[in-house]
Amino acid sequence: MPQPDDAAPLVDVADLRTHFPVRRGLLRRTVGSVRAVDGVSFTIRRGRTLGLVGESGCGKTTVGRSILRLVEPTGGGVRFDGRDVRATGGRELRALRRRMQIVFQDPYGSLNPRMKVRAILEEGLVIHRLGTPAERQARMTRALERTGLTPAALDRYPHEFSGGQRQRIAIARAIVIEPEFLVLDEPISALDVSIQAQVVNLLVELREQLGLTYLFISHDLSVVEYVSDDVAVMYLGRIVESAPAERLYAEPLHPYTLALFSAVPRIEPGRRSRRIVLAGDVPSPARPPAGCRFHPRCPLAEQVCRESSPPATAVDGHLVHCHVAARELERAGGGVAATAAAMARLVEAAQAAGAGVSPTDERRDGA
Amino acid sequence: MTAPLLEIRDLVTAFHTPAGRLPAVDGVSLTIDRGRTLGLVGESGCGKSVTAMSILRLVAAPGVIESGRILLGPPRDAVGAAATDLVTLPEPRLREIRGGRIGMIFQEPMTSLNPVFTVGDQIAEAVLLHRPVGRAAARARALELLRLVRLADPERRLDEYPHQLSGGMRQRVMIAIALACDPDLVVADEPTTALDVTIQAQILELLAELRRRLGTAILLITHDLGVVAETCDDVAVMYAGRIVEQAPAARLFANPLHPYTIGLLGARPGRGGRAAGPLRTIPGMVPPPQLFPSGCRFHPRCGVARLPDCAAAVPAFLEVEPGHFVRCPFTRPST
Amino acid sequence: MSETPSRGFWAEAWARLVRKPLAVGALCFVGLLAAVAVLAPAIAGTKPVLCRYKGRIYAPCLGYFHRSLEPAIFARDRFRGTYPQNLRDKDPESWAIWPLVFQDPYRAVRENEWPGRPANPAKGDGHPNRLNLFGTDQYGVDVFAKMVHGTTIALLVGVVSMGLAATIGILVGAAGGYFGGWVDMLSSRVTEVVMCVPPLVLILAFIAILEKPTIWHTMAILGATGWTGIARLTRGEFLRLRQSEFVMAARAAGAGPLRIILRHVLPNALAPVLVPVTFGIASAILAETSLSFLGFGPPPPSASWGSLLNDARSNLSMWWLVVFPGTAIFLTVLAYNLVGEGLQEATDPRLREARK
Repeated sequence: MPQPDDAAPLVDVADLRTHFPVRRGLLRRTVGSVRAVDGVSFTIRRGRTLGLVGESGCGKTTVGRSILRLVEPTGGGVRFDGRDVRATGGRELRALRRRMQIVFQDPYGSLNPRMKVRAILEEGLVIHRLGTPAERQARMTRALERTGLTPAALDRYPHEFSGGQRQRIAIARAIVIEPEFLVLDEPISALDVSIQAQVVNLLVELREQLGLTYLFISHDLSVVEYVSDDVAVMYLGRIVESAPAERLYAEPLHPYTLALFSAVPRIEPGRRSRRIVLAGDVPSPARPPAGCRFHPRCPLAEQVCRESSPPATAVDGHLVHCHVAARELERAGGGVAATAAAMARLVEAAQAAGAGVSPTDERRDGA
Repeated sequence: MTAPLLEIRDLVTAFHTPAGRLPAVDGVSLTIDRGRTLGLVGESGCGKSVTAMSILRLVAAPGVIESGRILLGPPRDAVGAAATDLVTLPEPRLREIRGGRIGMIFQEPMTSLNPVFTVGDQIAEAVLLHRPVGRAAARARALELLRLVRLADPERRLDEYPHQLSGGMRQRVMIAIALACDPDLVVADEPTTALDVTIQAQILELLAELRRRLGTAILLITHDLGVVAETCDDVAVMYAGRIVEQAPAARLFANPLHPYTIGLLGARPGRGGRAAGPLRTIPGMVPPPQLFPSGCRFHPRCGVARLPDCAAAVPAFLEVEPGHFVRCPFTRPST
Repeated sequence: MSETPSRGFWAEAWARLVRKPLAVGALCFVGLLAAVAVLAPAIAGTKPVLCRYKGRIYAPCLGYFHRSLEPAIFARDRFRGTYPQNLRDKDPESWAIWPLVFQDPYRAVRENEWPGRPANPAKGDGHPNRLNLFGTDQYGVDVFAKMVHGTTIALLVGVVSMGLAATIGILVGAAGGYFGGWVDMLSSRVTEVVMCVPPLVLILAFIAILEKPTIWHTMAILGATGWTGIARLTRGEFLRLRQSEFVMAARAAGAGPLRIILRHVLPNALAPVLVPVTFGIASAILAETSLSFLGFGPPPPSASWGSLLNDARSNLSMWWLVVFPGTAIFLTVLAYNLVGEGLQEATDPRLREARK
C-alpha cells in the first residue's frame, strides 16, 4: 500500500458521474436518466476549502453526497487520501466514513426527532467504538462547547432548539468523531441572516482549530467567497469555471459566472445598474442541451457552442469551459484579467442588443 | 402633498394559542404612497408576513386583528373621497378590494396556484371576480397579462397547468393574477425567496418594469436587504413585531441608525474577504413571541443597550432626520 | 432552549391528547373496560376470589380464565362448582372473599346456592331485578355476569388479533419500504392478495371444516387478514423516512441497515401505525360479535356479547338481552374510535404548531 504523499490531495474527484434512472411503465423500465452530475473533476488539498456554487438543479448537492457514497456514483473516480472510495466496502468503508462527514442544509430534518442530543452525538462514537463511556461523555461535551452550546443540551430533544442551535448540534455531531474532511451542504441557507454570520464564523474557527478540509456547497456567492480558498461554479451537472476564490470573483471568465455575480442583489448605494439577466429557465437535467449545456441561455452563444461541448482551458489554476472565453484568452495571450474584461464587455453588448432578453423558457418535463 | 395610498396606524395582530397571547404585530404604523415601493424587512418571526396578511384580513385563526386602522385611500378616479378602514370593512366590500384594488403575490409559487386549473383559468377567474365582462373577454385579458409579465409563448401557456411550468414562470403567473384588475397596490410576500438567484433577477427586473409602466405601488416583504436596496424607494425594518427603523432606502443604507439595522447590514461578508476577520454578528437569537423581552425587544442582543432604561419602556418612534424614523434613543449622530 | 423539563415525542403527544375532553373520556372508558376484563372473575362469579381451605389459600376464580387454573383440590373434594355450601361443610375454618356479584356467566344459579337466594328466573320472568341487574337469559343465566365476562372475551379478541396483525403488518411493510426492489414488489403483491380475502367468509369456512372451532381460530384469522392496512401505512412511512436526512446522517456515520431500521426509522414510523391498530381493535370486536350474533361464535355456554344478541333473536320479548349488550358494543366501538381519532390528532406532525 503506497504511503499517502503530503503533496497529494486529500480529496480527488475525477470525471464523477451520478445518474438517476427514470423508470416508467408496469415493468419499471428505464427510459432515461437524470444526469445530476455529469463529469465533474476537482481536487482538494488537505486544509483547504473548495467552494461549490450553482443554482438549484446544478448537481452540487449530489456531488457532496456522491463523494461520501450516500448516493452511489454511476461512473468516474473518487479518491480519499489515495484510497479508491468507490471500490471499498464493508468494514473498510465504515473506517473511511469516520474520516469524512457531512452537515446538511435542513436543521429540522437532519436530526432524529426521537433521539436526545446525547444519543445523536454518541452514535458515531458507538459505531466506531471510540473510547469508553466516560471518554465519550468528555468528547461530546467538548464538541458541544466547541460549537457554542452547553453540555445541558445533551439531555434535550432537537425540537427544543432553534434552527441555528440545531445546526450547531449537527456540526457537533459531525466533528465529535474527529473527521478530516467535512462536506457542508448549504449549511446556512435555512437560517436567519443574523444567525448565518454566527455559524459561518463557527465553521471558520473550527477549521483552524481542528485542521479540517471543507467542501462548502452553497448558492450564496458572498459567503462562499468568504469561506473558500478555491471556488468552482457548476451548471447542469458540470463545472463551468473554477479558480482560487479571489481570482474568480475579481476576474470571472464564463458568461454564466458573470450572470450569476451580476444577479445577486447588492447593497451598494446608488447602484441600480444594468444587470445581466439570463433568458429562460434552467433546463431539466434529464434532457440536457447538446453541445455546451449553457448555450440556450447564453448571450454569446455561437454555432460551435451548439455543436460541441467546450473543453477545459486552464491558465494559472484558473479553469474555464467556454469556446468564446478560450478564444478571447488566446487573443489576450493568456492574460486572464484582460480576458475577463473582454468577456464582460461582450456580454453587456449582447444584452444591449437584446440577445439575452428574448425569453426562451424551457418547458419543464411534465412528469 | 397627495394623501397616501395605504396608511396602517398602530396595527396589533395577536395569536391566541394555548401557550398564551402572542403579539405577532405589536403596534405597527406604515405609510405607502401612490406609485412608490416600500420594503418591509425583517428575519423570520418578526411579523412582516402577518402584517401583510392583516392588510387584507387574511390572517389565519387563531390570529386576530385586535386594534388599529388600515386606511386605504380613494381610487384614482375619486381623489378627494374619504379613505376606507379595511379593518372594519364588511366582508363583501373587502372581497371587492381583494384582488381588485389590492393584489397579492405569495412566497411559494409551487403551492399558491391551484394544480387542477389551467393558468389561463386562474387568471381569468381573477378578472371575472371584479369586472363585469364575459369569459372571452376575461381570457383575452389573461393573454394580455401573460404578455405583460413576459411569459414566453403565452398562447400555449394559457391552457397549461401549473405543474408544467417552472418556478420562475409560476411566479410570473402569480404576478399576472395580482395585476389582473389593475390594482393600486400590490403586496408581495417574499416573492423571490424560493427562486434561484438568476430567476430572482428576472422577476425583480419584471417588477421594476411593471412599476414604471403601470405606476402600481408595491409593498415588498423580504428578509434580503440586497433585494430591498435594489428595488425599493422606502424601507421599514421590523423586529419582534415592531418597526424599529424607517427611511427612504438610500438614506437607510447610507446611514443606518438602529443597532439592529446596523447589525444586519454588518453581518454580510464584505469585499475584504477573510482578511477582514470574522463576520460581525448579532449575539443571541430572535426571541419567540412567548419570550419577548420587556421594553425594547432588541435590548438583550444590543451592543449599546443601557439597563434598566432599555428594559423599562418601549422606546418612542422618533423622526431623527427628515423622513428617517428610529425606535432607539441611542442612535449615533449622522455623519 | 426553555427551562421546562425535556419532553419526548410521546410525552408531548400525551399532553396534546389530554387537552381534548372527548378523547380523555373515551380513554377512561377503554381503561375501565380493560379493568373489567382483567378483574372479571372478581366482579361476577360463583367461585371465590380468594379462599382459605384446609390450611392453604387458593384463588378458584381463576378457573374462569381457564379450566386448568382452578385448583385441583376442589375437584378432588367434589365441589362440583358449588362453593358456598361446600366450603362451609368441608372445612368449618374456611373463609372466602367473594366476587362483587354472585352470579355465574355459564349457568343459572340454583336455589339456595347462596344461602337465602332463590334460583335465577328464566325465560320471560328474567327481567332485570335486584339480584339480576341486567336480567337473565332464557336459561336463567345472569346477563350481567355474561357481559362482564364477555368483556374479557371482547378485549382478548381485539388485542390478540390486532397484536398479530400489527406484527405481521409492520414486518411486511418495513421490509418492503426499506429494501425496495423485488422485496417491495413481493410484499406489495402479497399484501394485495391478502386484502382480497374476506375475513368473515374465511372464518365461516374454517368453522365448517374444523371439528372444534374455538375463539382462538377466529382471532388467528382476523389477525392474519387484518394486517394489510398497517402494512401499507408502515411501507409508506419507511419509504418516506428512508430518504430523510437524519437517516442519511446515520449512514454517513457508518451505521448499518439494522441499526438504521431499529434506531432511526422504526421509532419514527410507529406513531401513525397506532391509529389503524386502535381502529382495528374496534373492528375486530365488531367482527367477533357479528359472528356470534349469527350463531357462528363459540358454542354455548358462551359469555360473548354477540351470543347474547344471538339469544335475543329468538326471544325478542326479552328486551334486556338486546339493550345491554347492544349498548356495550356501541360504546366500546365508539370509545376505541374516539381514542384512535384522538391519537391521530395528537401524533400527526402536520397538525402540530408551525415551526420557525
